[in-house]
Amino acid sequence: MEATTRNPSWLRTNGWLLLLLALLILFPFIVGALTDSSPYGVPRGDRMIMRGESVRWQSVLIEVYILAILAMSYNLLFGFTGVISFGHALFFGTSSYLFGLALEFTDLDTGLAIVLGALAGILVCGLLGLLIGLVTLRLKGVYFAIFTLAVAEMFYIFFGRWQLTRAEDGFAISELPTWLDPTQSRLNYYYIALALVVLTFLFIRRLVKSPTGAVFQAIRENEDRAQSLGYNTLNYKLFSIVIAAMLAGVAGLLQVMLNKKVGPELVSVGYTVDPLLMTIIGGVGTLGGPIVGAAGLHLLDIFFRDRELVLGAVTIDIANIWALLLGVIFILVVIVFPYGVIGTWKRWQARALRRQ
Amino acid sequence: MSRTNRSSLIAILVIIGGLVAVAFVNSSSLGNFGITLLSGLFQGMLLFLVASGLSIIFGLMDVLNFAQGAYFMVGAYVAYDAQHAGGLIDLTQAIPDPNLRFPIAVLIAMIVGALLGIILERGLLRPLYARPIYQLVLTFGVALVMAEIIKFLWTTTPYSWTEVFGVRDSFFELFGQRFSTYRLFVVGMGIALIVLIALLLRRSRIGIIIRAGVEDREMVQALGINVQTVFTLVFTLGCAIAALGGAVAAPFLGASTTLGDIFLLQAIAVVVLGGMGSYEGTAIGSIMVGLAVAVAQDAAIGTSFSALPSITPMLLLVLVLLLRPSGLFGNAR
Amino acid sequence: MSDQILEVRDIHTFIGQFHILEGVSVGVPAGNITVLLGRNGAGKTTTLRSIMGLTPPARGQILFDGKNIAGKHPHAIAQMGIGFVPEHRAIFRELTVHENLQIAERKHGDLARKSEFIFDLFPDLQRLIDLPGGNLSGGQQQMLAIARALVPDNHLLLIDEPSEGLAPVIIEQLMAAIKRLAETCSVLLVEQNFRVASRLAQQYVIIEEGHSPASGEMGSLIHDSDLIQRYLGVA
Repeated sequence: MEATTRNPSWLRTNGWLLLLLALLILFPFIVGALTDSSPYGVPRGDRMIMRGESVRWQSVLIEVYILAILAMSYNLLFGFTGVISFGHALFFGTSSYLFGLALEFTDLDTGLAIVLGALAGILVCGLLGLLIGLVTLRLKGVYFAIFTLAVAEMFYIFFGRWQLTRAEDGFAISELPTWLDPTQSRLNYYYIALALVVLTFLFIRRLVKSPTGAVFQAIRENEDRAQSLGYNTLNYKLFSIVIAAMLAGVAGLLQVMLNKKVGPELVSVGYTVDPLLMTIIGGVGTLGGPIVGAAGLHLLDIFFRDRELVLGAVTIDIANIWALLLGVIFILVVIVFPYGVIGTWKRWQARALRRQ
Repeated sequence: MSRTNRSSLIAILVIIGGLVAVAFVNSSSLGNFGITLLSGLFQGMLLFLVASGLSIIFGLMDVLNFAQGAYFMVGAYVAYDAQHAGGLIDLTQAIPDPNLRFPIAVLIAMIVGALLGIILERGLLRPLYARPIYQLVLTFGVALVMAEIIKFLWTTTPYSWTEVFGVRDSFFELFGQRFSTYRLFVVGMGIALIVLIALLLRRSRIGIIIRAGVEDREMVQALGINVQTVFTLVFTLGCAIAALGGAVAAPFLGASTTLGDIFLLQAIAVVVLGGMGSYEGTAIGSIMVGLAVAVAQDAAIGTSFSALPSITPMLLLVLVLLLRPSGLFGNAR
Repeated sequence: MSDQILEVRDIHTFIGQFHILEGVSVGVPAGNITVLLGRNGAGKTTTLRSIMGLTPPARGQILFDGKNIAGKHPHAIAQMGIGFVPEHRAIFRELTVHENLQIAERKHGDLARKSEFIFDLFPDLQRLIDLPGGNLSGGQQQMLAIARALVPDNHLLLIDEPSEGLAPVIIEQLMAAIKRLAETCSVLLVEQNFRVASRLAQQYVIIEEGHSPASGEMGSLIHDSDLIQRYLGVA
C-alpha cells in the first residue's frame, strides 16, 4: 500500500516480477545446462523416460505451483475477506475426485473426459462453496470455520471408506494424453502449471484492487461497518468463497494429474493446514505472501527430507525430526514474524520510507 | 442454566431420547441395550474430559487450543509408561501392586499435562493475546511439536495395554450380559467431575470470576482482578483434565499417535454444538455425541456403512449448527 | 493543586492507528463531582478508559493521589481505589445480582460491610438479589453497576453515561443516589444530558475532538451560553 501507491512507472512495479517469471520460464533449461541433463527427459524407444536432474526439479516446482495456487485461494478468503475456513481441503479433494471419476469410471473418450471432468470439478467446487456459504456464512467466525472443518472431515471419512473408489487406497489415473501427461512430457506440464499460477496471481491482484476487492477488505476490517455503509456483505462473502473454492479446485486438478492418483489424502486436514500456514508464514493479506510461503515451506521440506545433520560425533537424521522442525518453524514465525515474511518486510520498507 | 431457551432443552431431550430409542429398538435384548448405553456414556465422558478444557479456555481467553488433543495423547502415553515395566518411568519396583500403581500413573499424567500447560500459556500464548488467529496457529504448531516429541520418546508403534489389574479386567453381570466395571468406573468418575466442575463454577469465587470473564474480560479487570492469573489457572487445569482423559482411556484404547487428532476433532464438534464457552452445553454435548457414536457403531455392524460411526459427530454438529447457528447453549455473539 | 485526587496531564491515546486523544487534561478535586461534557465521539469515554488503563495512553501522565498510574495494568489501577461504571451498564448478565456484587470484593467481607449502605441507596437490589443480571430492567442494571463499584473502598468512581436510555423517574432516583454516594468519594462523570450534569456536578471539563479546551466551575458554565453553544450545541 505505502510504496506502490506513489505510482512509479509500470516497469518499476512489475520489473522484478517479470524477471522472476523469465527465470521460472527458463528454469528447466538452466537446471538442464547446469547439471548436464535434458529438460525433456531421456528417450527410450518412442517414449520419454522422466529421468535426470532437470526433470526432477521441474516436478518440485510444479508442486510449489500447486501449493501456491491453493494458498493464494486460501488467502483470498482468509487474508483479504477475513473469513477463516478450516475445510479448504474439501474443495481441493472434491475436484480431484470428480476428475478421476470422469476419467476412470465413465465410458467417455479420454479427451472429453478430461474437459468434462475438469469443468465439473471446478463447477462443483464453486457450487459446494456457494452451498456451504449460504447455510453458514451467517454464523460467526469460529462457527463457520468449524462447520467447514466438519464438512471436510465428513468427506474425508466418506472417501476413505467408499468401495467404488477403492477406499483408503484410492485409484490411479491410467490414461492421459501424451502432451499433458507429466510422466511423459513433464516440460509441457511444467509450463501449464506455471501459466496457471501466473493467471491466478494476476486474477487475484486484479480482483483485490477492484471495487469488489475493496469491499472484501472492508469486511475483513469490520463487517458491521461495511454493512452499515450499505453493502450486502453476505453476497460479497459468498462471492469470495465461491472464487476461492474454484481456485482450490484448479489446484486439486493439477495435483491429480501430477501424481496420476486419487485418494482420500487429498481431502485430509493436511491440505487445509498447508495453505493456512503458508499464507500466515508468507504474509496474510499480501499478494505475494502465499507464493513465498508455499515456495519456502515446500523447498525446505524437499531440502531437509532426506538430509542428515552431522554435529561432531552425533548424526541426526533430519527426515525423522522434520515434522518437529516444521512445528518449531511455525512457532518461531508466529512470534518473530508477526505479519509473515512479506508483511513484515513491507512494514520495514514503510518505516524506511517514513525515515527518509 | 437460567437463560437456557426452552427450545434448546426440548431439542436436547428429543435428540438424546431419540438416540436411546434407536439403541433400544436396534438391540436384540435388554443386555445389548445396556452395553450400547454404557459404551456411549464411556465415550461421552472421555470426550468431556477433552472438551471441557477446550470450551472454558475458549470462552474465557478466546483461544481455540488445538493442542488440547495432544495433551490427551500425552496423558495416555505417560500413564501407559508409568504403569508398565520398562520405559521412561518404571514404577514396577517401587509400587508392585498394579491396582495401586494405576492411580499414581494417572496422577503423574495429570501433573505432566499441567506442567506442559503452564509452559504453553506462560511462555508462548501470553505475548499473543491481542492476536487470536496467531494463537490458533501457535497452538497448532505446539500440537505438531508435541506429537513429534512423543514419537521421538516412544516411537510410532502403538502400545496396547498389557498390564492386568483389578478394576480394568473385572466384570459384573446384568440382564444376562457381562459389563465392564472399568467403563462404569470411568462413567462414574466423569459424572463426578461434571458435577465438581459445575460446583466450582457456581459456588467458588474463582468460578464466579471465570463465568464473569467469559462474558466480559475487560470489566473483570476493571474490578481489580488480575485476569492473567486466572488465565494461567484455567489453561493449566484444562490441560491437566485432558491428560487425565488420556490416562483413564489408555487401559482401553492404549497409546497411539493418532489418539490426539481423533479426540481433538470430536471434542471440537462437542464444544461447538454445545455452544462455545457454555459449560452446560459441553457437558450435554459430550454425552450426546458419545451416545450417538455408540448407536452408530451398533447400527453399522453388518452393513456397508462402516464410515457411519466416524462421521456421526460431524453429522450431528452440522445438523445442530443448521438449526441453531450458535450451538445448543451458545449466545449469539 | 494538592487537593486534587486525580490529575490527568496531557494524555495521548491511540486505538489501533487512530489518534483518539490528542492531549487531554482533566483535574478532579477531592470530594467533588466533576463532569466531562462534549459531543458524541469527542473522546469522553476514551478518557475514562485511559484512566482505567483499558486503553493505556501512549504519552502523558495520570496522577492518582499523586502517583503516576499511566501504563499500569487495569487491575492494579482498580486496586488502588478506582471504581469503574462503564457505559451501557456492563453488568454480568449471567451472574446473579448477588454474584455481581460479590465479584467486586477486594477483601473478604467487603460486601457484608457495605451491603447496608448499598441497599439503603438502592433498595430494589435487595429484592432482586438472586435474579440473573440479564433479567433486570435498564434502570436496575444501572443501579447494580454503580452498586458494584461501591463494594470495595474506592476513593474515586468513574461513571460513564448513567442516564443513557432511562426514564425520567429513574434518572431522578439515580441522581439522588449519585449525590449521596459522592459524600463518601470523588466522582468523575460522563453525562450527555446537560440538565442532569448541571444539577449533579460542581466542576466541568469540556472534551472536544480529542482535546480539553475548557474547564471550570459548573456554576459559571450555566450562565456562559456562548461556551455551551460552541461545544455542546445546546442552548
